[in-house]
Amino acid sequence: MTTELHKIAARILLLPALLVALGVMVKGYSDPGDGFSAGVIAALAIALQLMVFGPGELDRLPLIRYAPYAVFLGLIISLLTAFVPSVMGQTLFTHWPPAGDSATVFGTLEFITAVAFDVGVFLIVFGFGVGVLSSFARAEARIRTSEERAARSDKDNSGKREAGNST
Amino acid sequence: MSWLTDPNPALTVLIVAMLAPVLTLMAGAWRPASVRAVAVGTTALAFGTAIWATAIEPSTFSMMWIETWNVQFELAFDGLAAMYTLLATGIGLFVVLYAAGYMPLHREHKGRPLIDDARFFGFLLLFMASMVGLVMAQDLLLIFVFWDLTAVASFFLIGFDRDEEDARDSALMALLVTGISAIGVLIGALLLWQEYRTFSLPLIFEQMESSSTVTWAAALIMVGALAKSAQFPFHFWLPRAMVAPTPVSSYLHSAAMVAAGVFLIGRIFPLIELEPWLGNALVAVGSASMVVGGVVALTRDVFKQVLAYSTISQYGYVVVLFGLGGTYGVGGAMFYVIAHALAKCALFMTAGAVTEATGKSTLSESGGALRGMPLLAFGSLLAAAGMMALPLTIGFFKDELFFAAATEHGRAMQAFAVLGAALSFAYIGRLWIGIFLGSVKHEHRSIGALMTWPVVGLGILTAIGGVWVLPFRDIAERAASVSFRQALDLDLAYHLDTRPENVMALSVYALGVAVLLTERWWRNSLRALVSIGEVIGPAHLYLLTLRGLSRLSDRVHDFEVRDLRSRIASIMGPAGVLVGLAVIFTPTEGTFVIGPLQRSDIPLLTMVIATAASGVMVTLPRDHLRMVLTLSCVGYSLAVVYAFLGSPDVALVAVLIETIFALVLIAMLVLMPKSILRYEARLRPARWKLGRDAIVATIAGLMAFFVAWSALSRPSASTTVISRQIELTPLAHGYDIVTVILADFRGFDTLGEITVVAIAFLGIISLIRVGRLR
Repeated sequence: MTTELHKIAARILLLPALLVALGVMVKGYSDPGDGFSAGVIAALAIALQLMVFGPGELDRLPLIRYAPYAVFLGLIISLLTAFVPSVMGQTLFTHWPPAGDSATVFGTLEFITAVAFDVGVFLIVFGFGVGVLSSFARAEARIRTSEERAARSDKDNSGKREAGNST
Repeated sequence: MSWLTDPNPALTVLIVAMLAPVLTLMAGAWRPASVRAVAVGTTALAFGTAIWATAIEPSTFSMMWIETWNVQFELAFDGLAAMYTLLATGIGLFVVLYAAGYMPLHREHKGRPLIDDARFFGFLLLFMASMVGLVMAQDLLLIFVFWDLTAVASFFLIGFDRDEEDARDSALMALLVTGISAIGVLIGALLLWQEYRTFSLPLIFEQMESSSTVTWAAALIMVGALAKSAQFPFHFWLPRAMVAPTPVSSYLHSAAMVAAGVFLIGRIFPLIELEPWLGNALVAVGSASMVVGGVVALTRDVFKQVLAYSTISQYGYVVVLFGLGGTYGVGGAMFYVIAHALAKCALFMTAGAVTEATGKSTLSESGGALRGMPLLAFGSLLAAAGMMALPLTIGFFKDELFFAAATEHGRAMQAFAVLGAALSFAYIGRLWIGIFLGSVKHEHRSIGALMTWPVVGLGILTAIGGVWVLPFRDIAERAASVSFRQALDLDLAYHLDTRPENVMALSVYALGVAVLLTERWWRNSLRALVSIGEVIGPAHLYLLTLRGLSRLSDRVHDFEVRDLRSRIASIMGPAGVLVGLAVIFTPTEGTFVIGPLQRSDIPLLTMVIATAASGVMVTLPRDHLRMVLTLSCVGYSLAVVYAFLGSPDVALVAVLIETIFALVLIAMLVLMPKSILRYEARLRPARWKLGRDAIVATIAGLMAFFVAWSALSRPSASTTVISRQIELTPLAHGYDIVTVILADFRGFDTLGEITVVAIAFLGIISLIRVGRLR
């Protein structure tokens, strides 16, 4: 059912979608959206490629093969932002810079540890979406090939049996 | 590191005791043959430490444990702790020595590997260590922790021969009876906390006043203690626990597990004293146990069963003594525990040694063991004499104190005391005579010195206590003064006059001998009586309850796992009913408010109706793809509702989630075999099933509806929080409050949620990769 039009649309949409995801995450502190939404948007962008080009596409896109590891990377980042303050004698989730202090600003992005935590959330959600969908796609492809092989060997076997019967 | 330079005795005793099981297990991992030596060595070390700590001043140790509830890790090596620590480690040393001789034989019988030694001694010493911790703990929560630790250790000890069903059942019974009743201890502790805002017993004693909360707390803790001490009607676990290897029985049922119960009564005695009826309850329960245990012990044939029922009966004495109160009551209870532990432990060991030597374990099959094992017979004769309260043994004084306490409470109590003591005289006498006297009925092989000398040692200690009672009296006095909260003086000496105690002792001997001589006449009728008790007794009730619960749980489980529908129904149905009951029974004024409807609400209302309509539509399609699509229709309409409500964050997330959710569902459908999907789509469920589903759905829907309605009708409780958070948002370098809440204010919740996501991801991936899915 995949037409050329689908393929072109999917390709054209990939980069803008990832950019939107980045924007949603970075601007999360001043506008609607956060790491979670960004993660889902990015995962949907990848899912579109998957649907149009099939699971083989995963290996061609840079770094997407490692998306499942993003879940654990993200978890580690979030855990670090949460627990490192407790090592330094503060309560959990004490963000830096402290309330009221000015932070380094780059456009609408402020460099604060809460954003790092949000990046962790983004990685987890993105890895989860891509990981689950891609493993489904792979499993589906595997089942299909094994079914085809089974059908072929069935045919072979029946051929052999007939041959055996005749001798 | 200050502990190294200035050792705190209380902490030291606990650490040394805790080292014993750890080192034993390590020795087991390193070289199983060394386990026995290590166990003996570490126990001796623990005993030595206990003696050292007893000799110096009482000491305390305290450390903040759970700050929010004001729970201290509070230990005190006071008189009471000293007595029970000495018992646990001292008797423990004898038991470990005996077990070092017993275990090789036991393993040989059962065909078990050498490594089982590590398990055995590990749990035995864990029991000892938790007992030591229990008796020093001053904080009720800490007491509860050690209390349960003893229960866990006893479970593994009683069920040591785990291949035998009987052993497993008995271990479970002991765990259930003592574990469930332990909840009484916990509830009691929480009640006391509610009253005094502390779990620390010394602080509670300082400010306690008689009130119904305190009385109930004390009563609940008492129930836990009585079950642990195998008192009527919780006594039935103890005879069953006799399936354990003999060293376990001789330890748990002389100086450890059952002693823990009366220890706890001694620990909270100031609370019990506040209310007279608690003392009376103790007298009643103790008396019942005395009679039931004593009568049944007279009819038993198996050695260990006689001893088990005698333990029930004799801890009944201790409980009665606590109930009577006063100098003689409390002091007598402490002294009784010491005397009983020495003698009973030796008798249990004797039973095990005789069984190992002759292969026989019943009175009717044995006799005349005196000739083959004169040393064992001598040791156990001293112990039996102690139990029978003959003069020149420590046991004489235990009964003297008992009689003195009874005399303070009138003639009826005196008569009852004599009766109880005579029963005790009779069943112990019957046991010893049955084993060692009479004609020789069997061959026997020699047993090692390790199984004989501990008995002799304990027997000699029993005899020494009858001549030089001073050290034992001191220990008991110091322990009693902790429970009694004032110094007391136990006058223990032989008096050659006709004071009531002496007269009572003489009548006990006369009555006891009479009972022994007339066994022929009462034996059969007593057995009949006891078998009636077995049919209608609490053990039967326990069995019925257990079976009923098991059947109920099976039925619920069968229903729940049958298919997805019944699984959902078994969660949503009961939850809906419970919430419905809550809605009916709580005052609902102001909870369910119907707000005014304005013109501007019309778009919102339309979308809400659309959502509801698509929700209904989900039930219609039969084929799976359409179901998924209708389901996401519900989600998208809900997203529009959020958008109209003015929460763009939530609307955005809803749309995204709905999209990816639909994709995942469709991907799952692709994975499923087409034939199954087609078959399922064609399936026409029976009409009654549809009706049942509709009812469950209605209940669950109403529940969700009422919960949402009541939550939305009362936003006032959280508005202050919300406005405060809105105020704080710029301070947290943000302008979008939802993000700031997620990443900062409630960051910990988010962390928990994303951790769940990561774990779920791991599960999904491994399920698919391993190929469990098809």
